Amino acid sequence: MTTNGSAILCPSCFTPLPPSQFNNDKFVPCPTCQANVQVAVFPAAFRAITPGQSGERILIAGESSCFYHDQKKAVVPCDSCGRFLCALCDVDLGGKHLCPQCLDTGRQKGSFKQLETRRVVYDNAALIIALTPMVLIIFWGFTLVTAPLAILLGVISFFKPNSILGVSRLKAHAAIIIALFQIVVWVLMFMGVLESLVT
Amino acid sequence: MAKAPKEYRKLPGRGATLTHYVRLYTGADHLLQVASTGFTESYKRFYYRDIQAITLRKTYVGKAANAFLGATVAVLGVPALFTSTPVTIVLASIAGFFAMGLGANIALGATCVCQIRTAVQHEKMASLSRLRRARRVLERLKPLITGAQGELSSAHLEGIVGNEPKTPAEGLPPVISATS
Repeated sequence: MTTNGSAILCPSCFTPLPPSQFNNDKFVPCPTCQANVQVAVFPAAFRAITPGQSGERILIAGESSCFYHDQKKAVVPCDSCGRFLCALCDVDLGGKHLCPQCLDTGRQKGSFKQLETRRVVYDNAALIIALTPMVLIIFWGFTLVTAPLAILLGVISFFKPNSILGVSRLKAHAAIIIALFQIVVWVLMFMGVLESLVT
Repeated sequence: MAKAPKEYRKLPGRGATLTHYVRLYTGADHLLQVASTGFTESYKRFYYRDIQAITLRKTYVGKAANAFLGATVAVLGVPALFTSTPVTIVLASIAGFFAMGLGANIALGATCVCQIRTAVQHEKMASLSRLRRARRVLERLKPLITGAQGELSSAHLEGIVGNEPKTPAEGLPPVISATS
């Protein structure tokens, strides 16, 4: 199946835009809805989508077969587990040849950064939890709970992967310092109350 | 020790909803859209080799916001010019707040909707809602995409323009072919 240029749709009325509107570097009204549209089109829009390979059958006895399909000819070993794979089972991920099993295991373990779609950002969470009750002063009392939680999340962030953007650990350090300050304030307050009760 | 080079570079623009904010980053071989709630981040990758088109559509949201903010400033601010009762001072303060919003909206410029199209999806770029920023981002993305895909030759484009499908005659109903 191929994609042709006329299948680039108007973002307003979703009708195909005429190719004369492509790569104009200025807004041109859509012939159907008159919405001002600028379209930058790239060669991928006209590239034929290559069909997937199904794997060749073994015709000569003694040929190495795929680990998952014993009737199919092996074309490459898995770069992770070394199992022989047919063209169907070979998954190309960033230049590595992997079998579906290793791909799934790696995805679950978070070994393949390019497959990750979500991460918990512990350092950011720690900072938000540490700062929010301080900023919203009426919730200052919540720091009794949030301060230890912020420290816990801050410490976890040193052992877990944080943002994929590779930001520094500054937020985690800041969260821990702020939370420690809140705990010190609570301790001093309790000591003051205790002293007043004793005297 | 030498500092490791950054894997992602931030692009201008930030979009926000009630629950998360969105930013765009350029990577070595893909564009990364990060939607962050503060506690979690969700990622969408658009590989340069797969991007088929980037479309920008002008919208009138900015103009509508200017009209609304301008009218509010006028309604609340004009009485304060003629009287100085405590009520009008309060109204003028509110008008000042709206005037700041109006100034910011004018400074940010015209609004638009930006979409990225690949073979399998059309994705609206929530962070590119201002035309100036969207164009700046487009100018930064174009060399990266053409670097991965090559230039679209003008001869190729002219060939497509020459073979443009003819639109059906106006007023006539669509014809459904009897052959299967």
